Amino acid sequence: MIARRIWHWLLAILIGGWLPVLLVTLWWNASASSENPFFPPLELIWEQFKLNWVFLNVPIHLVPSLQNLFLGFAIGVVAGIGLGALVGVSGAVSRYVEPVVDFFRCIPPVALVPIFILLFGLDSAMRVASIAFATTFPILIATIEGIRGTNLVLIDTASVFGLSRAQMLWRVRLPNAMPVIFGGLQVGFQIAFIVTVASEYLGSGFGLGAFTLIATDSFLILDAWTGVLLLGLLGYALSLVFDIVERLTLRWYYGQKQLA
Amino acid sequence: MTTAIAINGVSMEYVTPEGTTHVLDNVSYEVSEGSFVAIVGPSGVGKTTLLRLLSGLQKPTAGEILIRGERISGPPAGLAVVLQDYTRSLMPWLTVERNIALPLKNQKLSKADRSERIESSLEEVGLSGQGGKYPWQMSGGMQQRASIARALAVRPSILVMDEPFASVDAQTRFDLEDLVLKVRDDFGITTLMVTHDIDEAVYLSDEIVVLHGRPAKVRDVVTVDIPFPRSQIQTRNAPRFAELRTHVYAMVRGLE
Ligand SMILES: Nc1ncnc2c1ncn2[C@@H]1O[C@H](COP(=O)(O)OP(=O)(O)O)[C@@H](O)[C@H]1O
Ligand SMILES: [Mg+2]
Repeated sequence: MIARRIWHWLLAILIGGWLPVLLVTLWWNASASSENPFFPPLELIWEQFKLNWVFLNVPIHLVPSLQNLFLGFAIGVVAGIGLGALVGVSGAVSRYVEPVVDFFRCIPPVALVPIFILLFGLDSAMRVASIAFATTFPILIATIEGIRGTNLVLIDTASVFGLSRAQMLWRVRLPNAMPVIFGGLQVGFQIAFIVTVASEYLGSGFGLGAFTLIATDSFLILDAWTGVLLLGLLGYALSLVFDIVERLTLRWYYGQKQLA
Repeated sequence: MTTAIAINGVSMEYVTPEGTTHVLDNVSYEVSEGSFVAIVGPSGVGKTTLLRLLSGLQKPTAGEILIRGERISGPPAGLAVVLQDYTRSLMPWLTVERNIALPLKNQKLSKADRSERIESSLEEVGLSGQGGKYPWQMSGGMQQRASIARALAVRPSILVMDEPFASVDAQTRFDLEDLVLKVRDDFGITTLMVTHDIDEAVYLSDEIVVLHGRPAKVRDVVTVDIPFPRSQIQTRNAPRFAELRTHVYAMVRGLE
């Protein structure tokens, strides 16, 4: 049983992994004899990558980015799910909140960074706030939708069994909404990643966004490429972790779907 | 016999943007402690509505419902439900055991008592050792057994079921009917069950309430004078069984 699962996983990774491998191979070969200073050979990028990121620049550029990303995302998750639960449960609140949500969700998240600079200045509070704010909306919207979707049979059964309103929310409506909420978390996390980098383009000496921008401005092309490469690897690894967390949390959901 | 539930002049109207539907009209009926009552009637007559009123999920537009003399104003303590749609009434993210444990959280029970309750309820419905499964890993009949176990675990004095066996196959249905009779015997629970199956109503109950009309009234209350214990083969072949079902059938169809 377990062995079969692991085998399926390996197979999925093999099948899903061949495309990146192919692309990297292509890149490596195509760039090998490149004389274009803006498109250096991947081999050189890789050498520079090891100099920069194993582990010289990790404390000053990677760590602050990750800190902002995780803190901002965490705040966005709490705010999005908390507000979403409130709005989803209460009809009265939703009438006031929903137009506001609809307005803000339409603004490209990155466009808000300058506003947050005005509000918070140029330090990391601004970055965390931007990330949190942008993350909140997809999660909020998914939570409202998920909570509204709770079927009435479940709610009726639970109320006859004497569950309180809080228990109804915590034990019935939120777990029921988890598959939909996870969709929002996924989108939220992607946005958080984008805003993390974008927020470092302005007024920062630290972080991956700042590193890449400063390198480009100073014509340190190899360094810039290592920054981009690290961002790509990081994004890929984080989304992998995200998938695993989702699979574990929603085991019941995928199990049910598989049987249906 | 003491009265467990008194339904006094209950009327129900649904008000929707499309208009007002008058569903129940001045329904009165008394359920004795420990009896098994079936509620039958044509589809859409208001059987589910009556059960929802009894369960405190809705308030009647007129009249009142008393449980042991007390007027209800919300889900009454000591009342448990089993609803028709078992695929949607158990929480799919919880194992059967945890589904049963959820309503117990509000009862002041020690940990040992709680697991004892869960174990014995599972045993009562023939699901011993299956508590670790998720509902969706079980057949429809087993899920409905699990719903019944969840209801029993709160040690209710009243069990209310809305077409609980409507979507299981015939053999499973017979098994579940006998299970419900056994449960009534073991715990002396006052049981109300809505069914559209007249044979089932006659087989299970002490009394059958026939709802009819639009808005619905109690058209008849039929006493099922067939002795217990009943058996699927003998009871269903008894001449009295045939008489009663013919009578009830005519009532439901509005023929008599
Ligand atoms: N929430 C509701 N709002 C409006 N009308 C309803 C509602 N629930 C039931 N009804 C109507 O009340 C009538 C009785 O429904 P119901 O009690 O479900 O009947 P039964 O269970 O006997 O089939 C039907 O005509 C139905 O359309
Ligand atoms: Mg019904």
